[in-house]
Amino acid sequence: MSRIRILGIGSPSGDDQAGWLVIDALSNSGLRTGGDLHFEKLDRPGASLIPLLVQADWVILIDAMASQPLPDTLGESRAQAGQIRHFDGQSWPDYRHGLSSHGLGVIESLSLARELGELPARMDVYGIEAEQVQAGCPAGETVQASAQRLAAHIAAELARSGVYASPG
Amino acid sequence: MTERKRSVAIHVPVLTRVEGEGALDLRIDNGEIAELRLRIFEPPRFFEKFLEGRSYTEVPDMVARICGICPVAYQVTAAQALEKLFGVELDPWARDMRRVFYCGEWIQSHSLHIHLLAAPDFFGCSSAIELARIAPDEVRRGLRIQSLGNELMDLFGARSVHPVGIRVGGFHAAPELSRIAAIREKLRAALPEAEALIRWAAGIPVPQDDQDFVSVAVQHPRDYAIERGQIGASDGLRIEAEAFDAHFAEHHVAFSTALFSTYRQQPYLVGPLARLNLNYANLPERVQVLLAETGFALPSSNLFHSLVARALEILLALHEALRLLDTYRMPDSPFVPVTPRAGVATACTEAPRGLLWHRYEMDDSGCVVNARIVPPTSQNQGRIEEDLRLSLLNFGLDQPDDALRLHCEKVIRNYDPCISCATHFLNLNVERT
Repeated sequence: MSRIRILGIGSPSGDDQAGWLVIDALSNSGLRTGGDLHFEKLDRPGASLIPLLVQADWVILIDAMASQPLPDTLGESRAQAGQIRHFDGQSWPDYRHGLSSHGLGVIESLSLARELGELPARMDVYGIEAEQVQAGCPAGETVQASAQRLAAHIAAELARSGVYASPG
Repeated sequence: MTERKRSVAIHVPVLTRVEGEGALDLRIDNGEIAELRLRIFEPPRFFEKFLEGRSYTEVPDMVARICGICPVAYQVTAAQALEKLFGVELDPWARDMRRVFYCGEWIQSHSLHIHLLAAPDFFGCSSAIELARIAPDEVRRGLRIQSLGNELMDLFGARSVHPVGIRVGGFHAAPELSRIAAIREKLRAALPEAEALIRWAAGIPVPQDDQDFVSVAVQHPRDYAIERGQIGASDGLRIEAEAFDAHFAEHHVAFSTALFSTYRQQPYLVGPLARLNLNYANLPERVQVLLAETGFALPSSNLFHSLVARALEILLALHEALRLLDTYRMPDSPFVPVTPRAGVATACTEAPRGLLWHRYEMDDSGCVVNARIVPPTSQNQGRIEEDLRLSLLNFGLDQPDDALRLHCEKVIRNYDPCISCATHFLNLNVERT
């Protein structure tokens, strides 16, 4: 049986809690850490993310994202708050420096892990578009709803993998 | 005919591979440095104000939030200040395990800085990802060592980021013997890796850049000081933590949200090289052997030796953790009872980046009346500016802008500045006229 790790990354700053909200929603749906399934919330883990990847066969990583303006829109149009995007272990969005005050962001840590050949066999990265990242504020309603929707999608993926029954 | 000297303005608007947010402004007029400012612009975080009115029981967990890289330093320093005021005598078990906990933090912080933040500069790489292409085994080794440091922090702190293990009077819980036995094996297995790291670090060519500065660090008669001792300086100063204000001054500058510190009106150095310069005689025998093998003389006046100093301190921390865990026993209680009292509490310890000083005024119910925290990066800020000025003159102001910018960043990153802790920081702006 494969080892599955679900990592929700965030910080206590508005929509940046998106990854944490997905973990909460999974937990509230009855899914439990144990056996080969492990899920946890991480607060801006930096390079500490890499050892967590090594220990798993399938990693599902969720983080808030602030995407670049959409192409062919003369820089005027951005993704909408709460929009969910999926990336595999091969192609990730460009890292826009400056969003993190830490030396090593999530995409940099993933890129370093890939360079070292430390990525798990299956890697799913989900980004939830953030709008406001005000320290101490709750996530916006749109992002909260997206977190619920993504949690249901992940639970269904786990069920489809044949390893876990879909909770609830 | 007169030679026309270059005038340049370099602005690094956001410094990368440092913890937190800062910038550098450099203006060269007619071949001379007209302005050099390290700007820390990360907003002030007001931690000292948050602490006011809080119970002594909350202080260790609150100060741990100041830094995601060195929370143990903040917890230990706060707890020890309050324990001193409250007349608490720690159980020898708790005293030893505080040092072990702290060793974990040195191991993870130093390995992070060497491999992911500083070393790429010395290999012409822009990032650790590029360094991993040319030195994959070394980067993997660094990540293993960092991970082991995190495990040690997790063992005593329940988690490696913002740990919660320390309380005033000791620890909340004592790890089981089986977990200690398991980590001892890992620490022992890491010793040859740490020795190989020292040899690798010592083999990295660094600029010859000797400068005059005063080293300041905690000193202890027997130990390589980490969590206890007096404040010492390379000019012979030796004072208790309580006397800090009589010898060291902090002042505001308009361009920085961090305070600048001076000693005898001059910048001074804290951190791994300052510690090694003052305390190398107290290194364990095996670390002394490796130090001798690297061949560099101490005290060192070349800040670029900081990388090797960190590698040596990783080996020291592994040896210290092993020494103290080899005789581990389960304590009757992981903490002793505490009765608060009013007064002023001060303490200092050695955070990975250098001297950390705390002062708390407490009321008789054990609540904070006011707090003052002097982190290492704000103490080093003046020294970094002085180093940049001297180092740029040594490097040559006629170098191309990109080379100047890279050299400045290399100098700054070498200090492993933690701007988030200090903000109370790097964009380079260079102007040549």
